[in-house]
Amino acid sequence: MSQALRLTAITILFLLVLNPVSLAADNAQEDEPVIDVIGKVVDHDYLELVGGAKLYLPRIFMVNGEWYLFANTQSAVDTGEFERAEEGLGLIRSDGETISLDMSITSHLMYVWFGLILTLFITLWASRKYKKGVGATTEPKGISQNLFEVFFVFIRDDIAKEYIPGDKHKKFVTYLFSVFMAISFMNLFGLLPWGVATTADLTVTATLAAITFFITQWNASKDHWEHVFMFPGVHPAMRIILTPVEILGLFTKPFALAVRLFANMLSGKIMIVCVLGLIFIFTDIFGPAVGLSSSIFWVGLTALLYILKAFIALLQAYIFTLLSAVFIGMAVEEHHHEHESKVAAATDVHV
Amino acid sequence: MASVVGILSFNTGFAIWVLISMAVFLFFMGKYAVPHIVKALEDREKQIKDSLEAAEVALAKAEQISKDNKKAMKEAEVQAQKIRKEALEDAEALRSKKVENAKKDAGKILADAKQTIEQEKKKALTELRGEVAELAIKSASLIIDAELDQKKNKNLVDNFIKDLSKN
Repeated sequence: MSQALRLTAITILFLLVLNPVSLAADNAQEDEPVIDVIGKVVDHDYLELVGGAKLYLPRIFMVNGEWYLFANTQSAVDTGEFERAEEGLGLIRSDGETISLDMSITSHLMYVWFGLILTLFITLWASRKYKKGVGATTEPKGISQNLFEVFFVFIRDDIAKEYIPGDKHKKFVTYLFSVFMAISFMNLFGLLPWGVATTADLTVTATLAAITFFITQWNASKDHWEHVFMFPGVHPAMRIILTPVEILGLFTKPFALAVRLFANMLSGKIMIVCVLGLIFIFTDIFGPAVGLSSSIFWVGLTALLYILKAFIALLQAYIFTLLSAVFIGMAVEEHHHEHESKVAAATDVHV
Repeated sequence: MASVVGILSFNTGFAIWVLISMAVFLFFMGKYAVPHIVKALEDREKQIKDSLEAAEVALAKAEQISKDNKKAMKEAEVQAQKIRKEALEDAEALRSKKVENAKKDAGKILADAKQTIEQEKKKALTELRGEVAELAIKSASLIIDAELDQKKNKNLVDNFIKDLSKN
């Protein structure tokens, strides 16, 4: 029985490998690079559906204060008003004016929405269940509710309660949980065959980090600002050095947040595309036989990378949430000025 | 090179979309979804905590009651023992009193009987003396066959009997 299963698995693996090899052979006749790694990770004006079909998305953009709306890029070109730019999604007005604000619906935006909607849907479903009393007066029922509660309680107790002092953590549970779930889903969508990890886009992670930044600063306590500008207990002259460093620190935190998530997700995607791309490259250089025989190894490696990526998807969402909680916790904390007395005591000892 | 820049590019329009989406998303999450869950979980935790505390109180109460019961039982046992002891003592006293009474009665009856016997003996002796005297007189008169002075004879015999009884 197990041998039959193994044989079937190997056959399927072979068929899966043969398909891209023949595709690569087709592509090789064209003059383009064998495999476009970057093209797999940048934003597109279409949504790739199951099977590789493309759904072109609407273009909304502004040129010098004038708004344009087209069903897709092609229809914009067809009107004759615009021409395709040489790189990426760009369109140029026929008179040479470039787009000043591009608010087109892109594939990455679609996946952001998918992540948000899925999170919202699941959370609303769970909240309806809790409102009905399942889980409120009784124990949570079913795998889905229990799983949901595991995540929710984890975010609330081990992240929010742990890093944000006092009763203040209650205010941030919504944000932390939403961001954790949304980022997890956005990351996990990248594992789907035609899916896109939208968190591998700097724009998305930067915006998320900016939200964390603004939430942090809006809720910062007086002590937080005092420690940024005044440094109680430190010689006033030191402010010349410390204040710029602290102000810089305010911005490096969200920057690190954005880059960490972005780089992790992007590198995972690129790794997988590259490792699978080796099949195409080998076929191109050494012929189909080498490409085919080595592909077993590449596909196995890709499978391993996929498992790693599934883990990283959750890990990075967790790290983003955790660091957000840490930054918020640091900002909202009230110190009661124990520093001054400590410093005073220290000087006493030295004298 | 240009496509590498494409990876790192920041698209303002896209960022605005993400910002709007996140704002709407967080609004719905914060208004319709998360608070209910937080409240439900807090309620449940409170309920569990309260139940545990109530159970502890009930347990302490039950223990107290059981202790009280034990104490009451011990007291009742002591009481019962005391009552039994008292009853035994009473019974003993009653019995000894009765025995004493019986002894007294018996002694009295014995004494009475002795007295009666003594009296009867005295009476019988007296009667016997008279009888003997008469018999002696009769037998003497028969023997001597002579009419003697009754009075003189009687005295004679009486003296004789007196001497007899003295011996």
